[in-house]
Amino acid sequence: MSGEDNMKTPDMPQQAMQPGARREAEDKGAPLITAEKVNKHFGHFHVIKDVSTRFYQGEVAVIIGASGSGKSTFLRMLNRLETHDSGKIVIDGIELNENMKNIDAIRREVGMVFQSFNLFPHMTVMNNITLAPRRLRGVTRAQAEETARGLLAKVGMSDHAHKYPHQLSGGQQQRVAIARSLAMQPKVMLFDEPTSALDPEMIKEVLDVMKDLARSGMTMIVVTHEMGFAREVADRVIFFEKGQILEEAPPAEFFGNPKNERIRSFIGQISQAR
Amino acid sequence: MNAAISILPAHWSRERRSAVSIAIAVAGLVLFLWLMAIPLSWMPEPIGSAAQLFAEGAKTTVQLTVVAGVAGIALGVLAALAKLSKLPPVRWIANFYIWVIRGTPLLVQVLFVFLALPAMIPGLQLSDFNSAVVALAFNVGAYNAEAIRAGILAVHKGQTEAARSLGLTPFMTFRDVVFPQAFRVALPPLVNNIVALLKDSSLAYTIGVVELTNIGNRIQAATFQPIHSLTTVAVIYLLLTTILTQISNAIERQLDVERHR
Repeated sequence: MSGEDNMKTPDMPQQAMQPGARREAEDKGAPLITAEKVNKHFGHFHVIKDVSTRFYQGEVAVIIGASGSGKSTFLRMLNRLETHDSGKIVIDGIELNENMKNIDAIRREVGMVFQSFNLFPHMTVMNNITLAPRRLRGVTRAQAEETARGLLAKVGMSDHAHKYPHQLSGGQQQRVAIARSLAMQPKVMLFDEPTSALDPEMIKEVLDVMKDLARSGMTMIVVTHEMGFAREVADRVIFFEKGQILEEAPPAEFFGNPKNERIRSFIGQISQAR
Repeated sequence: MNAAISILPAHWSRERRSAVSIAIAVAGLVLFLWLMAIPLSWMPEPIGSAAQLFAEGAKTTVQLTVVAGVAGIALGVLAALAKLSKLPPVRWIANFYIWVIRGTPLLVQVLFVFLALPAMIPGLQLSDFNSAVVALAFNVGAYNAEAIRAGILAVHKGQTEAARSLGLTPFMTFRDVVFPQAFRVALPPLVNNIVALLKDSSLAYTIGVVELTNIGNRIQAATFQPIHSLTTVAVIYLLLTTILTQISNAIERQLDVERHR
C-alpha cells in the first residue's frame, strides 16, 4: 500500500471480530488486489471473460461456482500460476506481467494453499515450513524454526515437526501447508479448494484453522464448496459462472435472497449434497 | 543385497541404518583397494608375484570410474536440463550431444579424444588417463541425461507450483525441491550406468592406461597362463561392482523417506 492510503486503512482487528459484516466502501481504503477486465483462453476455450473485481485488506472473499466455471483459474492468476491474456492485475501496487522480478516479489507476499497440499515429501514438516523464510527472508535456521514452532502451535501440529508428510493424515498435511504459507508472512492467502481432497472427518480441522486465520484479520480469498464456511466467515461471496462473475454479495444477502435463478439452483444442489 | 543393513540393530532409525551402511560400504571399498595385494600375494603363481600390479590396476580402474562417474552425473544433469529447456537451440545442442554419443561406439570415442582431438586442436593433448576420463564422462553423461530427465518429469507439477508460490526462484526450486526428488527416481538407472561405466573403463586399455584389464592381459602374455590371470581380473571386477551396488542400495534407502522401514 502506498503512503497516502494509510490514513484510510480500516481498523482491522475490530473488523475481524465481526466476520460476515459488510464493510462500507469508505472504510475499505485502497484495494490490495485489483483485477480489471481480465481474460484468459485455453486454446479456443474462453475460461475467464472480462472479469473485474477488487479485494481489500482484511477481507475474506469466498469464490464459489460449478466445476469448470473458471474460479480456480482466476485464483491461480492472482499469483500468476496461470497467465492472463489481457486485462490488468495489480497486487499491492505491483502489476503482474512478464517481469519475473515482479512475479517473485508478489509471490512472496501472496500465500497459496492447494487442494493437493503439495508439501515437499523429502523434507520434514519443520524443513517444509522453514525452507522459504531461510532462503528468501535472510533469517537464521534458529529464528526460522522458532517462528515455525509458533505457526505449528497455531495450526495444532506442534507434536509433528520432525515427521515427514507421508506420516500425516490429509487434514494434518493441509494444516502444515497453511503454516508453510504463513511462514512467509504473506499479505493475502489464496486457498484453492483446500478441503476438497479431504475425508469428511478431516474437513472440520482445516476449516477451523482457516476460521481462526480469518478472525485474526488475514486477507483471504477462498475457492471452496464449503457453504457453511462461506456463511460463517466470508465478508463477500463471489459466484463464478462460465468464466464470469455472476453475482457478488455479502453471505446473508447471497444465501438469504439469491437474485439469480442459476445461483438459487446451485445453492439448492450443494445443500442437498451435503 | 541387504547384507549390510540387516545386521544393524533394528531399533536404529532408517536414516541411521542407511547412513551407517553407506559408510560401511565406502570403507569396504577403500579397504579392499588398499589391502587386496595381501590375499593376492598368497595365491599361486603367476598371480602371487604380480599381486601389487593387480592392486595398482584395480585402483586405476576405480579412479577412472569415480572421476568419470561424478563428472558424468554433472554432465547428465546439465544435458537433462538443456533437453527440458524452453529455448529450442539449447534443446538442439543437448539432443545432438546425446544422439552422437549414443550412436557411436565408446571405443571410437576413447580413441577420438586421445588421437583425433589433439590433431584437430593442437595443444589439446591430454594424458592417456585424462583422455579416458573425458571420453568416459561424456559417454556416461549422455545416458545419465535420459535417466535424470525422466526423474525430473516424474516430480509432480504441484511441487514446482508450491515452491514458486512461496516466492522461491527457479534455481532454488530446482535445487531444493525438484532435484532431490528427481534424483531419487533416477538413482536406479544411474547406478546401472555407473556399473556399466566401471566395466567400460576397461576400454582405456586401448590407449595405454594401466588399469585392471591391461594388467591382466600383460600378465597372461608374459606367463602364458590366461586362465589364472583373466579369472583374477574378472573376480576383482565382480567384487568392485558388488561393492558399488551395495553403496547405491544404501544411498537409495537413505533418500527413500516415503517407505516405512
